[in-house]
Amino acid sequence: MTALLVDTGAATGIPPVRRRAGGGLWAAVRGSRKALLGLAIFAVFSVLAIVPQLFTSVRDPNELAFTPALPPSREHLLGTTTLGQDIWAQLVYGTRQSLVIALAAGFFATVLSVLVGVSSAYLGGVAGEVLSMVTNVFLVIPTFPLIIILATYAGKGTLLVVLLVLVITGWSYGANQLRAQALSLRNRDFLESARVRGERRSYVIVFEVLPTMTSLIVANFLGAALYSVLTAAGLQFLGLGDPNSISWGTMLYWAQSQQALQTGLPQWSIAPGLCVALLGVSFALLNYAFDEISNPALRPVRRQRARRTRAGGS
Amino acid sequence: MRRTTIAAAVAMSVSLLAAACSGSTPAGSPTDGATSGAKEPSSTEKASHKQGGSVTIANVAGQTWTCQFNPFNPSVNALSLGFVYEPLVFVNLLQDQKETPMLASSYQWSADKKSIVFTVRDGVKWSDGQPFTAEDVAYTFDVMKRAPATDLYALWTGAGLKSVTAAGNKVTMTFGQAAGPYFFNFANQIGIVPKHVFSTGEAAAHPDTWADRKPVGTGPYTVDPCSANNIQYVANPTYWQPGKPYLQEVQYPAYLDNGPANLDLANGKAQWGSQFIPNIKALYLNKSKDNHTWSPPVTNVEIVPNLDPSHPATSKLAVRQAIALAIDRQKISQIGEGGQQPPANQTGIVVPTFQNYYDEAAVAAAGYDKPNVEKAKSLLAGLGYTEANPLKLTIITITGYTDWDASLAVVKQQLKPIGIDLTVADLASQTFDDRLFNGDFDLAYYGQGGGPTPYYELRQMLYSKNSAPIGKPASSNYERYVNKEVDALFDQYPTADEAGQIEIIKKVGAAMLRDIPIIPTTESVNWFQYNTADLAGWPTESDPYAQPAAFNVPDVEQVLLHLYSKSAQK
Amino acid sequence: MRYLLRRLGFFLLTLWAALTLNFFLPRVMPGSPLQALRNRTHNKLSPAALEQMLTSYGFKPNENLVVQYLDYLQNMVTGRWGISIGATLGEPVTAVIGQALPWTLGLVGITTVLGFLIGSLIGIVAGWRRGGRLDSLLPPVFVVTSALPYFWVGLLLILVFSVWTGGLLPSDFNYDTGLQPSLTPGFAGNVLRHAVLPAATILIASIGGWILTMRNNMVTTLAEDYVRMARAKGLSDRRIMTTYAARNAILPNLSGFAMSLGFVISGAILVEYVFNYPGLGYLLYNAVQNTDYPLMQALFMLFTVAVLVAVLLCDVLTAWLDPRAREKG
Repeated sequence: MTALLVDTGAATGIPPVRRRAGGGLWAAVRGSRKALLGLAIFAVFSVLAIVPQLFTSVRDPNELAFTPALPPSREHLLGTTTLGQDIWAQLVYGTRQSLVIALAAGFFATVLSVLVGVSSAYLGGVAGEVLSMVTNVFLVIPTFPLIIILATYAGKGTLLVVLLVLVITGWSYGANQLRAQALSLRNRDFLESARVRGERRSYVIVFEVLPTMTSLIVANFLGAALYSVLTAAGLQFLGLGDPNSISWGTMLYWAQSQQALQTGLPQWSIAPGLCVALLGVSFALLNYAFDEISNPALRPVRRQRARRTRAGGS
Repeated sequence: MRRTTIAAAVAMSVSLLAAACSGSTPAGSPTDGATSGAKEPSSTEKASHKQGGSVTIANVAGQTWTCQFNPFNPSVNALSLGFVYEPLVFVNLLQDQKETPMLASSYQWSADKKSIVFTVRDGVKWSDGQPFTAEDVAYTFDVMKRAPATDLYALWTGAGLKSVTAAGNKVTMTFGQAAGPYFFNFANQIGIVPKHVFSTGEAAAHPDTWADRKPVGTGPYTVDPCSANNIQYVANPTYWQPGKPYLQEVQYPAYLDNGPANLDLANGKAQWGSQFIPNIKALYLNKSKDNHTWSPPVTNVEIVPNLDPSHPATSKLAVRQAIALAIDRQKISQIGEGGQQPPANQTGIVVPTFQNYYDEAAVAAAGYDKPNVEKAKSLLAGLGYTEANPLKLTIITITGYTDWDASLAVVKQQLKPIGIDLTVADLASQTFDDRLFNGDFDLAYYGQGGGPTPYYELRQMLYSKNSAPIGKPASSNYERYVNKEVDALFDQYPTADEAGQIEIIKKVGAAMLRDIPIIPTTESVNWFQYNTADLAGWPTESDPYAQPAAFNVPDVEQVLLHLYSKSAQK
Repeated sequence: MRYLLRRLGFFLLTLWAALTLNFFLPRVMPGSPLQALRNRTHNKLSPAALEQMLTSYGFKPNENLVVQYLDYLQNMVTGRWGISIGATLGEPVTAVIGQALPWTLGLVGITTVLGFLIGSLIGIVAGWRRGGRLDSLLPPVFVVTSALPYFWVGLLLILVFSVWTGGLLPSDFNYDTGLQPSLTPGFAGNVLRHAVLPAATILIASIGGWILTMRNNMVTTLAEDYVRMARAKGLSDRRIMTTYAARNAILPNLSGFAMSLGFVISGAILVEYVFNYPGLGYLLYNAVQNTDYPLMQALFMLFTVAVLVAVLLCDVLTAWLDPRAREKG
């Protein structure tokens, strides 16, 4: 499955605005409805992940403590599984793993993207070409099949394995984008001036180039997080994760194998999927809002009833 | 295909049996003498119903059909054996090895059971019109000798088969040792193939890889046609039992997964089911009063502890006893298997299938007839483990068998209060196999194949020659149990008479109670669901004339010979 | 010309790298087809016989690794893909793949093309009517749909249209199991019926991406100077939208489209899994579960080649359509 990432516009050659971190950014986020919504959803999940105990009285969601296959009721908001576990409790406690996967895999994939992408642009020569080649190889290799093969053979579907697999398959897209942008920046004036000043290459990269690419890096991170959430859920759904762990994807796996949809327990299947979708949506919204912030041309136009110039006017 | 559970397999690997049958049998074994079979029970009786109607099978294949039917190819022979090809004698595991002669109308063992003479049936024709003779039988076994890859039960290499010759209408097979235990394999599990087809062309050059797309057999059906999504079998008009089979068509769709198969069973589109249906009441039984299920147990699913001294905890008898006493097998069966697999017992003898080998009193005397949490607690406390300071153990199992995962979740909960903290580790099946065979585990959850009596499964699990040192792959004795007395018991079995065999098995059961080398939890079954809206003649609990699942071959032939359509009788 | 040669060089090099990765991957992972076969036959049969069976089908794991590698490269390229040793033991890999390929091409290919066309059209219109009702409604909705997991959309559709309607739309398989494939309208109708839900799943989950990308490109393009110039010149809105803006806006999307065409062959594995659709994605899943090396390798190579060819074609296309790109080479 190809998670189509919304093009940030930077890759089409539009120069990114050089922005100081903080300050203006936060104000822009506050002003965007999409960003606020995305942030709100993320905040809700974060709270659930940090203090799940506040939202359910069950302490061990995998314990077979209740009567199996109960419909939703006051004690069991979403009913119970066919083994006798509280679905709502599993959902709440499962937030943690899904969030951790999204953030950790997104973070490490982005770090790898930045390292490889920017280095390949700046090292130049053979090293740069080799890195670019490696990036392209990973880019065209069909990721989901690769993921299935890796995850099946890693022996144990632990969290670490899932993370590793996600990072390995998720970094190349961002690396390519970052490389393209870094390449286009190479000959800019402010970098010329740094070079003339005699600054070391590493200084140039870290202190001059990277800040300029912040918006793209953040967009990459959000994209990678989205990709990780969806792919991890897909992996676990197929049964390639750890079936005894507590996460949304594992819930989906059990629900599917017990045929929840057909046996009158659809909420067991739909609820964790909805959570995966919501978390993904929050990243997508943040990503899209970020797009608009960094590319003024995309900002939403206030609808002006009185003075309508031609439709589509800038 | 999502593997939610494995189907119980019934037939032992002869090589496992033969691994240690090197010892010579005592000359002139007492009591037995020659045994022969010449009874003619129901399936070869005269036809008593009118022909007509069809049945649709729902047995999940997991992959679309390749339309190959070679009986020597283990991936596909469950599609042709019983439908198109027939064995010499049908042996019913569910009725204490009751025999039904098929292509052999009778047989005679020699006194030392080292050779057997089959008399082949007259008047049988192949589906292409050629006559069936003893030559075909000899040729079938000859193929297995020439191409070792086709000798699926290691008859020539493991069982000691020395020669198979045909003379007139008799076939003589000679062995290097007493071959009683192998009868189930060579008489019941080998489909006889036509010499005139298998001695020409591709089949002769490569009998192991030949596709055999249009199988020619003596059986009640032929294949017409086969496509990726469905195999249609049509009744063989020249079948040697006149008037049979009653059903004129059998449909065998290629279900990729349990979901659609279960749906079709529930709404009656398929009538013969052979897989695990979760929540079977809601999903299947309540949908129609004609939906029934009966799944006979045939082998065990067990916790395999590591008895090697390198694993200090599990090699202690007290620890194993504690586990065996703490688990509530009834609950495991109820919650983990949805009640569809009966609880096992500590002797490892599957009941009610093998009721006569089972010593109920001994189980009660040893204290394993019901869970005893207090005793388990005290056993572990004696070693210093309590719930507050538990013994940490890991049990490995195969990813994808969700009912085993569910059972282990129950076990984990039951071991917590006595002072064992169990971690369930799901491994990819290849990794699991590696670790299981090489002895790299504390506990493992597994189920083996069985045979027509408990001897086969117990021997696989307990015979010391099936074991191996840690680090080397064991063939089937994964827990590394070594007991000379039990070995001797197994050695005596092949030459003992029926009463003697029962005694031997009971003694082995007693060793199971005493040494707790493995801990059976539930009994693996042949999944079976059947619909009686139009079809009758199914095997049932009260009349288990054959193993009922569609993947049990060649039992499937017996079922097909009994089934008839009610509407076609009018 | 040089540009094309460079791209071709990249194509070959990447192909070789992917093939090599493909060769070593199954071999460094634990497990073997023999064990998988033992599992599938429930330990009924003698392992020695099974091992010989596998050898008859060409599985020779003990040969020299270099020899195996060279053989493998040669075989992959010449189409000698060997015989399946997994669940379809004994069937030539080309036959197995040949059976599944049309279904994936049909289901995933057609829906990808449809998604692209419809999505781009909507995106163009939305981008054009900036500030209009369509534009303020679309982005949030489609941002949401583009983030939905494919399999969840599939499960939801199954619940609503198959379970709750008592089976009105089938939720499994590519055609009714009783039917024989034939070129009759009845059969075709049946195939279409079975394809509705999986196709809808793919469309719903993927169209959002096309719409948004197209809209963003459109909006960005409209801000360009030459569009202003066109408007100043007095050209009609219609003309500007199609000839000036859309043509340029669609370029980046084309490359994305080409990439996703390449990914079509990987078959939307999750969708095929949820709907039990016997396409290439499902085949790969099974091949991996059954340690079917020949099938796995052939499939993996097929997937990679498809994407590479698509990328190459798209590069050619871009070079042809956009003179600016030729220099960048």
